[in-house]
Amino acid sequence: MASLDLQSLTKSYGDNRVVADVSLHVAQGEFLVLLGPSGCGKTTTLRMIAGFVEPSSGNILIGGKDITTLPPWRRNCGMVFQNYALFPHLTVAENVAFGLQMRKVESIEQRKRVKDALTMVRLEHLAGRYPREMSGGQQQRVALARALAIEPDILLLDEPLSNLDAKLREEVRVEIRELQRKLGLTTILVTHDQEEALTVADRLVVMNGGHVCQIGDKRDLYERPADRFVASFIGRSSFIEGHIKGQGLFESTDGLQLKVSREINLGPATLAIRPERCRLGTSAQTCDNHLTGQVEFVSYLGSALDIHVRLGTQTKVIVQLSNQESVKEPQLGETVQIGWASTAGLLYPSDQGRESYGGL
Amino acid sequence: MTLLNANRQNKRGLTASLLIMPATAFVVLSLLLPMAILFRYSLNAFVPGKFMVDALTADNYIKFFTDPYYASVLFRTIRVASICTIFCLIIGFPLAYVLARTQSHFKNLLIIAVVLPLFVGNAVRAAGWMVSLGNKGAFNQSMIALGFIDAPIEIMYTELAVLLGIIAVNLPFMVLTLQSVIESIPRHVEEAAFSLGAPPLKMFWLVLWPLAIPGILAGTILTFILAMNAYATPVLLGGPKFQMMGTLIYGQFAQQNNWPFGGAISFILMTTTLFLTLIAQAFVTNKK
Ligand SMILES: Nc1ncnc2c1ncn2[C@@H]1O[C@H](COP(=O)(O)OP(=O)(O)OP(=O)(O)O)[C@@H](O)[C@H]1O
Ligand SMILES: [Mg+2]
Repeated sequence: MASLDLQSLTKSYGDNRVVADVSLHVAQGEFLVLLGPSGCGKTTTLRMIAGFVEPSSGNILIGGKDITTLPPWRRNCGMVFQNYALFPHLTVAENVAFGLQMRKVESIEQRKRVKDALTMVRLEHLAGRYPREMSGGQQQRVALARALAIEPDILLLDEPLSNLDAKLREEVRVEIRELQRKLGLTTILVTHDQEEALTVADRLVVMNGGHVCQIGDKRDLYERPADRFVASFIGRSSFIEGHIKGQGLFESTDGLQLKVSREINLGPATLAIRPERCRLGTSAQTCDNHLTGQVEFVSYLGSALDIHVRLGTQTKVIVQLSNQESVKEPQLGETVQIGWASTAGLLYPSDQGRESYGGL
Repeated sequence: MTLLNANRQNKRGLTASLLIMPATAFVVLSLLLPMAILFRYSLNAFVPGKFMVDALTADNYIKFFTDPYYASVLFRTIRVASICTIFCLIIGFPLAYVLARTQSHFKNLLIIAVVLPLFVGNAVRAAGWMVSLGNKGAFNQSMIALGFIDAPIEIMYTELAVLLGIIAVNLPFMVLTLQSVIESIPRHVEEAAFSLGAPPLKMFWLVLWPLAIPGILAGTILTFILAMNAYATPVLLGGPKFQMMGTLIYGQFAQQNNWPFGGAISFILMTTTLFLTLIAQAFVTNKK
């Protein structure tokens, strides 16, 4: 276990900067998640830490020691691959023992540590099996045990759960988190699944196009997204284009006057509102922004309802209602009252972070 | 319902056997039948002037194993084939690995370059060796011109020439077989070994080699059989005095007209090849 530092880590393939100037610090025992859309450079960053990809520039420090030029086999990073990468010709126990053999651990100690690692992932009864005789979830846990057995300085997980079904994924991620906490392992997990990221992470790093957009804990990212991209990628937001008129007033392109609390410089801006911060019906009147609009679309999500409300020719806002008994599902085309507190709106200058991902 | 299923399965079985019929017939007619006849001939007696006399005798086999000349040809053949196979494996593995793992756009070109020697017929290839390795060839002449040697080194018509020749022909077979197997081993498995602390050599011995065993076996057996049965290369590069089993058999059939003895040598060659192949296989799979 050790801390990890990335200093202006950069990787280019030709002219293509796949990872651009990534700097971050992971404290000892911290669980950090790299989160971002496909192709944003998460895997490349992780593989640079493991030593499989040589950085174009920048440094990697483990426990304060510069390891940028060390080959992977001298780094003591435990890695779990998306497709497990177990050794098919070795049994489960032999797979787990592999790293210990490389470290010339004596055989009695070896056997004990293999057993401990397998017990941790609850597979001690399958020690004699071959990987092909196991389910995907079991193979995943063997891969984890194999990485844990070497007592790595850093545990690296590259989308370790993406080949598992939804139910199993939830179970295994809780397991990984508990183990990590128990062992105090410095861990970096790569994923593009934000729910997974939010359940396990101490801190998250949101990446886009090779850049780090924001580093922070869950609340930071959700309540105070640094830019429009993060606001759309973490959770959901309705975006309203317009400009700031000053005195806490925002005017949308189709002329709606909206109160805002935090101000940025005058000029073109985007207002983002979380669907669950909006109110519908009579309770909307208590908000300092309240308007009327037409229901355009209702989607029933089980625990919640999404009501798409059109406020102007270019403005549409989604309201999320939790599905309580008292909730009355609005009809399509119905005119409804909608409101939100001025403090719930987030403002971003329009020229920044325009490429939106999964925004509404 | 079950009747219907059985019927359907019967039909499928029938279609399958119809489909493999031509191949089976071809194998039987072109391979097994001649071999059976050959084996029968090898038990016949050879009386000079009378060609072949019907008999049931092991004389031809006894003659082969009691005459040290023939035994020495067999051993030379085994030696040449083994050396060629080992060299093909040693040279071929790194080449196959690079081919399998490269992400270069020129991968297909590289593969064609490996197969290129096979585009050239035996006679043309031998001519190529002659102009490069002969006494007046490029190698000797340039070595003399540079003053490294005074007289040309005899390479043509030696065992070395035959070895070089067979390795050059067999290498592509080895490389292509190994390449396809290495390609089927995920790169991540190698990386997992690295991340667990295995340096490249350890990774090779503990992960890559055992996983590549099927390909290594297939490639080795293929090149070994080709080398055991080599005919053109020993004739063209080894000269008339350099005998291997292939040339010996051809001589018995075409020059001596001694079909029974030729048949016996053929069977000895085939059995030896098969036997050695099985031993190698057993050895390799046991070690694992
Ligand atoms: N060896 C390589 N040569 C050239 N480009 C590469 C190479 N490896 C990765 N890339 C490019 O780098 C970018 C980032 O790749 P990376 O695998 O890090 O993405 P990722 O964030 O892990 O995406 P995903 O969620 O899809 O796994 C991609 O655009 C990819 O095409
Ligand atoms: Mg990836």
